[in-house]
Amino acid sequence: MKTRYVKRHVRAFWLFVAPCLLLFSTFFLVPLGLSVGFSFTNYDGWKTMNFIGLANYRELFADTKFYQSLGRTFAYTLFSLPFKVVVPLLIASLVTSKRVAIKGLARTLTYIPSLLSALVVGITINWMFSAEYGLVNYVIQLLGGKPLQWALNPKLATFVISFASNWASTGFYMVIFIGGLNNISRDIYEAAAIDGSSNVQTFLRITIPMLAPTTFLVTLLSTVNLLKEYALVQGITQGGPGLNTTFIIQFIFDKGFNQMQYGYASAISLVVMVIFSFIAYVQFKFSNGGDR
Amino acid sequence: MKKVSMILLMVLLLSGMVFAAGTKEAAAAGPQVLKVMLSEEPSSEDALLNTLKKWAAETGNTLDVMVIPYEDQLTKFPLMARNNDLPDLLTTTRLSRLYPDEFLDMAQYFDMSIFEPMAVEIIVQDYKSSKKSILPQQFTITNVYYNKDAFARAGITAPTIEKPWTLDELEKNAILLKEKGGVKYGMAMDASRARYDNMMYANGGSMVEKDGASFDVAINSPQNIAALQRFIDWNNKFMPKAIWAGGTTDNPADYFKNGDVGIYFSGSWNYNSFYNQIKNFKWGVMPSPVGKSASAILGGSGLGVPANAKNKDLAISFLKWFYTKENFQEYLNRDKGLSSLVGVTYSPLDAQVAEDYKVLQSEVGKVTYAFSTDESSMWRNFYDNEYRDAMKQAVNGDLTAAKALNDFAALLSKKSGWDLKY
Repeated sequence: MKTRYVKRHVRAFWLFVAPCLLLFSTFFLVPLGLSVGFSFTNYDGWKTMNFIGLANYRELFADTKFYQSLGRTFAYTLFSLPFKVVVPLLIASLVTSKRVAIKGLARTLTYIPSLLSALVVGITINWMFSAEYGLVNYVIQLLGGKPLQWALNPKLATFVISFASNWASTGFYMVIFIGGLNNISRDIYEAAAIDGSSNVQTFLRITIPMLAPTTFLVTLLSTVNLLKEYALVQGITQGGPGLNTTFIIQFIFDKGFNQMQYGYASAISLVVMVIFSFIAYVQFKFSNGGDR
Repeated sequence: MKKVSMILLMVLLLSGMVFAAGTKEAAAAGPQVLKVMLSEEPSSEDALLNTLKKWAAETGNTLDVMVIPYEDQLTKFPLMARNNDLPDLLTTTRLSRLYPDEFLDMAQYFDMSIFEPMAVEIIVQDYKSSKKSILPQQFTITNVYYNKDAFARAGITAPTIEKPWTLDELEKNAILLKEKGGVKYGMAMDASRARYDNMMYANGGSMVEKDGASFDVAINSPQNIAALQRFIDWNNKFMPKAIWAGGTTDNPADYFKNGDVGIYFSGSWNYNSFYNQIKNFKWGVMPSPVGKSASAILGGSGLGVPANAKNKDLAISFLKWFYTKENFQEYLNRDKGLSSLVGVTYSPLDAQVAEDYKVLQSEVGKVTYAFSTDESSMWRNFYDNEYRDAMKQAVNGDLTAAKALNDFAALLSKKSGWDLKY
């Protein structure tokens, strides 16, 4: 009788797990396996596929462009990450405050960019920051200033991508922070008020520590998304000026789909996956998985 | 009752079979859908799309048009082929050379002598086999547009077919246009390698040189390094640098259409849209400048039918219709371009268009031997994007002209197996 009961449980377990396992296998495990296989070949995406051993990896570790694009990706991530976390946190704090009016409208307006596709974001940002006919340069000139070379200065070009990325994601992370803020018990705030804590002290000593798991989640998601930035770059700078905004995913895409070096691109993808996993692991370790 | 039911069932089954067969027959003989893949979003004046629509109206067939830019075609086409979801007809510049096995051999359906030999040589030729995977559709040539109003303001007389400018004169006048012509940029060039290559060929350079049955890499020759250095200087002085430095998605054609550019290096494919869209200033076509020699690059797109397309017979029937003299003439009148069909020419009624057309035709004779050799090497199949990246970095000042070309030459040599000449 007990065996039958256990069997039913095992069957139920697999029935529950099966849909997720099927999707995970189809869209992650199988492509990952293929990618590992391709990385040892000279596959051109069409008909050529010969086993070449570790040649792709040897080429990769000697490829200065790989290191340069990886370095640019890290620099871009480090520059953008604080804004990805701090801006949504501040907005979430504002739109959950009792002292702020039209909170519903503010939340909606902040969230709308999250619904836009990267392509639409790119077009909008180009319309704003185009060196020739952009709104921002037009306003600068109206105010008597000199137009900025958004497309020629590597730092400004990186800033424009970062601005676009932040603009497009702030709403999403704001919603996560609102959830975190609403989960903090009101009793704690009341106790702090009774003890004479100022608003700033309450925010720094209660809100921030209590939000640690949420902040960890936002930081992790932001880091991964920044490291993988692709569509916005294509829509705004196409990797230029020169190669100054060519990040690692552009580099992989170019090798794979433009130069038809699928094998080499697979090798880069696997190495990059290991590096990104290591970064996520370090984040987990440092923040203790977001546990307070 | 049972018998009646049986008879009714038999009648139903028989009528079902008859109607099903009839439907199948009607589907084969009746209107069909021609799935067409274009390479850019067609305007309402687009010559090919309007010709396709005319054919559809005449034959009662319908069109299913999808637009995939040339760059994306390279990645999408293999996926379409693998998924058996190919268009019946497509316009392409490179797919037929990258994937010749996937296309029907047009020589089996058409007498290739009806086409201009140069169009077949440049657009159709596979170089590796005698197969004709596509038929020439748009036969284009690089050319130079100029803003007549800006020239008048700067007091510049445009060059003529008999007396084209030298590269020095071009530089001098581009500076003058920026200073006195009321334009923001004296000159602009499409961010296309071929536009720059014209300058390289005019300067006496080439990508490769013939070495018996093989080739030598010559992209880093002293004259090519000098040409690139000059191009970098031009970008710093009077061209919209961001276009070639690669930090923008802007199209310099828009700058020209807005009247912000004095001299614009592009191609004959833009003529029709400029003719329809530029109304606020006068413009024209001028002969391209000459260096050690003159140079123009012929190119264009062809129409191909994938071998595994569902309605390939329908596509062939459209092509048979399209390449009749009458229909092609109508297409050409809309396109205002060069003709790839023998015996069919565009005869503009507008005097200005006729004058411009004369200049365009004169450019055809400037195609160099070096360009033909480079094309026959098919070097682009190796590192086209790496070459563009090297140019971007050089124009942006990240690499010197010499380093950009030397590094690229080494890469091309390694990938192709060809020796370095320099």
